[in-house]
Amino acid sequence: MLPSSLEEAAAALATTPAAVPVAGGTDLMASVNAGLLRPTALVGLGRISEIRGWHYQDGHALLGAGLTHARMGRPDFAALIPALAGAARAAGPPQIRNAGTLGGNIITGDRTGDALPALAALEADLIIVGPDGALRELPVSHLLGGVDMLRTGELIGFVRAPLLHAPQVFMKATGRTGPGRAIASVALVLDPARRGVRCAVGAVGPAPMRPLEAEQWVASLIEWDAGRRLAPEALQAFGEYVAASCIPDPEEGTLPAAAQHLRRTVAALARRALGRALS
Amino acid sequence: MSNDATMATPAAGTDLGGAVSSGIGASVPAVDIPPKVEGTYPYASDLWAEGLLWAAVHRSPHAHARIIAIDTTAAEEMPGVRVVVTHEDVPGGSTHGRRIADRPVFAEDLVRHHGEPVAAVAADHPDTARLAAAAIAVEYEILDPVTDPQLAFSAEPLHPDGNLIRHIPLRFGDEAVTGEVVVEGVYRIGRQDPAPIGAEAGLAVPRPDGGVEIYTASTDPHADRDTAAACFGLEPERVKVVVTGVPGATGDREDRSMQLPLGLLALKTGCPVKHAAGREESFLGHAHRHPTLMRYRHHADATGKLVKVEAQILMDAGAYADSSADALAAAVSFACGPYVVPHAFVEGWAVRTNNPPAGHLRGEGAMQVCAAYEGQMDKLAAQLGLDPAELRMRNVMATGDLLPTGQTVTCPAPVAELLTAVREAPLPPLPKDLPQEEWLLPGGPEGAGEPESVRRGVGYGLGMVHMLGAEGADEVSTATVRVDGPVATVMCAAVDHGQGFSTLARQIVQEVLGVDEVNVAPIDTDQPPAGPATHGRHTWVSGGAVERAAKMVRTQLLQPLAQKFGMSAELLTIADGKITSYDGVLSTTVAEALDGKELWATAQCRPHPTEPLDETGQGDAFVGLAFCAVRAVVDVDVELGSVKVVEMAVAQDVGKVLNPRQLATRIEAGVTLGVGAALMENLRTQDGIVRHPDFAGYPLPTALDAPAIRIVKLIEERDVVAPFGAKPASAAPVVTSPAAVAAAVRAATGRPVGRLPIRPQAVIPQQ
Repeated sequence: MLPSSLEEAAAALATTPAAVPVAGGTDLMASVNAGLLRPTALVGLGRISEIRGWHYQDGHALLGAGLTHARMGRPDFAALIPALAGAARAAGPPQIRNAGTLGGNIITGDRTGDALPALAALEADLIIVGPDGALRELPVSHLLGGVDMLRTGELIGFVRAPLLHAPQVFMKATGRTGPGRAIASVALVLDPARRGVRCAVGAVGPAPMRPLEAEQWVASLIEWDAGRRLAPEALQAFGEYVAASCIPDPEEGTLPAAAQHLRRTVAALARRALGRALS
Repeated sequence: MSNDATMATPAAGTDLGGAVSSGIGASVPAVDIPPKVEGTYPYASDLWAEGLLWAAVHRSPHAHARIIAIDTTAAEEMPGVRVVVTHEDVPGGSTHGRRIADRPVFAEDLVRHHGEPVAAVAADHPDTARLAAAAIAVEYEILDPVTDPQLAFSAEPLHPDGNLIRHIPLRFGDEAVTGEVVVEGVYRIGRQDPAPIGAEAGLAVPRPDGGVEIYTASTDPHADRDTAAACFGLEPERVKVVVTGVPGATGDREDRSMQLPLGLLALKTGCPVKHAAGREESFLGHAHRHPTLMRYRHHADATGKLVKVEAQILMDAGAYADSSADALAAAVSFACGPYVVPHAFVEGWAVRTNNPPAGHLRGEGAMQVCAAYEGQMDKLAAQLGLDPAELRMRNVMATGDLLPTGQTVTCPAPVAELLTAVREAPLPPLPKDLPQEEWLLPGGPEGAGEPESVRRGVGYGLGMVHMLGAEGADEVSTATVRVDGPVATVMCAAVDHGQGFSTLARQIVQEVLGVDEVNVAPIDTDQPPAGPATHGRHTWVSGGAVERAAKMVRTQLLQPLAQKFGMSAELLTIADGKITSYDGVLSTTVAEALDGKELWATAQCRPHPTEPLDETGQGDAFVGLAFCAVRAVVDVDVELGSVKVVEMAVAQDVGKVLNPRQLATRIEAGVTLGVGAALMENLRTQDGIVRHPDFAGYPLPTALDAPAIRIVKLIEERDVVAPFGAKPASAAPVVTSPAAVAAAVRAATGRPVGRLPIRPQAVIPQQ
């Protein structure tokens, strides 16, 4: 089935509840090829032009779930939401970025999904289309954290992300130079209107993690109206604060070596990300 | 004689061939490039036959288990399933193997590694076959797997042949000698996978005479045929292996775990049977590089001259022997590297474990020890306060020196010249000296790299590898050349798996016969054998056979003319389809000289014999040696542990350049394979179970990971015993590159770097 509007897609899913929606197919088809998934029917979302772009609403951007990583990586998008653009540019080789979509990255929910920490840091909401065309909203973190799930016949229509007009950074460590899965990733956004720093750490847990105390602590140090600079020691402390809250010390004994390396990696990423955002 | 070729990739390709357009020395593009680019190249997985069935193999989910019972009823009763075969259905010899026949076609009482074939199914749909294979109920009694090769010595035998596949105690010189300076080190090499671009696939078609034809991407068709015939209980004449498009290989392709079940299923059903392995099955089914543990002690005098090398080399062969005995011989023989070492004591063992089987992968044995002895050279240099390149220069071997096996190096060994060439090559600029847009820091574009945390390191590697089979292997190849009108045809069962042999065969015939149009016939086992496509054999033995056959045809063609012209045949030249006398006075065309006749000749090439290593590791085991020097330049992010190889400068001893572009491609491919082994390629296992058998869990270098490869010098010193004097070129950079990358990371971080692939944790300087 190849619907050309969200309404048609919702109707198709309502009539064939076993059908699986597919956009870029970069994750779904890999599961099919590996024999993990044999959908009886597919609903192709590639022809729905309304979700291939974005529009604006009350200081937010409504991003179509069918936006490809390649599209989000372009400079015009990067000027709007730099953290998401950075994540999109870092997400795999060009072939994957050309096909893979924002909605697909969310619904696959892989722990190494690159868009996920960016969306968590942005505190983005999902706009879900129901079987009868009804819309409902759901914070991204609720879906990723398993607080709320998609129901039968529902699909992601849009992602609502705030336009913050301030520096944002996405960084990931892969251990290599070419495209690879994140060992750890950090998305960091500044919200000058609310005088906040929001940071999310990806790939170290099943869903992106927000070090809320570290965010509040560092936001209180920044002189928002004068230069927005921090001393290197403060950046360093922020990095360690973030890392320790994502990878806490065990109740007994010391962290294993691999976890210590991961903690150092997260600390370095968070320190560098904040440094870049404030530079 | 040397050829200063400064080629930097990826800009190579503009002026590699000079003025020549065909024949030896020309940059003739490989003939399979256009069909591969256009998508018309027929790979083995594209095979089709009317009414074919699909096969699926049931593989062991355990690393070590006793088979209590196999119940195939459920699978056989599934609609669409035609037949299920197990060990009971193997009519002939029940074991096979490359060097040592120790591997059953289907596991009988024991499974010895994860992924070992237990049964196979033929069905009318691939999904049915897969489901039926999963429905075969095998009752296992799980046994403790032996996964640490160090425990293989004391463990219960995993196989009737025992756990020790080979032990070589090499003794050379005086054991009592010691040096003024002694350094020790432990080195570990991971499990690299050949990861061929196309997974294993094949089609078996039964023949009316009760035989079977197997269409597959074999790289050693005659050995595969003999193995298959023995397992099927047939005479070799009734089994035919037809080589179909080989989608690349980094050694020979270990397809037998698929070919044998396919042939059995075709014989049982009387129908064509096809199988195309998925990536997971490919990872489980084929052989890998030997994970190796090495302990070294180097003795030197105060000036840095090596006095003695002591080493222990333990290779994990996995569950079956395969070519492990050969890999061990290479590791032990080259344990000291291309250096003059007056006293050497090397103990080498290849042992059986319940890990995935190891086998042939380019530079096997030689690559593992190179990483270790070069690590030792760096350690020694640090101890003596010498420049690592200078220390190496004080020890390099040359023609006439002895290997620790007692064999004299008779071929050109321009090691000093190679090292000088890479030392003197200009260094690449630092990122900070480039415009910011061109910075490529570890972590890649858009990555997390920050210039303040990046350290640059420069390291050297010198390596050596043998060419052709060793220790008495009969390295014969046969080729036929036919000329009919303006067209020549080469028939030789030497498989082109990407090394470019078919292009080379064409060039040889063009050179000798002056004919432009040369066809290379498809390969099957009805042709005389040419042996496996390994160790650069085909450039040497099959190239030699083609040249000899072409020269015989040339004599047949020119002899009558020479008589007619009243001059010796040597005074006639053939070029552009014309035969001309030395003075240019008399001439005729090739077509006229042929006069409608068809000329053909068959010739063999067999290099001089070698002998096995004796009980103290002594013997003239190798036909020829190739040497390589690599300088690696790396950038390391010392906080995140990410490594970017900036540039690999390569100088190589190649004998003679036959096709400059193809040669450069082979060197680049070898360096990239080596960089993969140094930084990321490691098939991980846990208790013998393969973890992540896919390309997400087994990363390969991409274009962004691959460094700039600068071929700074190709030394053309003819090896007088080799046809054309050429040395095969693929393996030497594979052997040397990992050691060079490790040396550069050592220089950047000050960490010892004893384990490959290098883990991010291991490159962060300790506070």
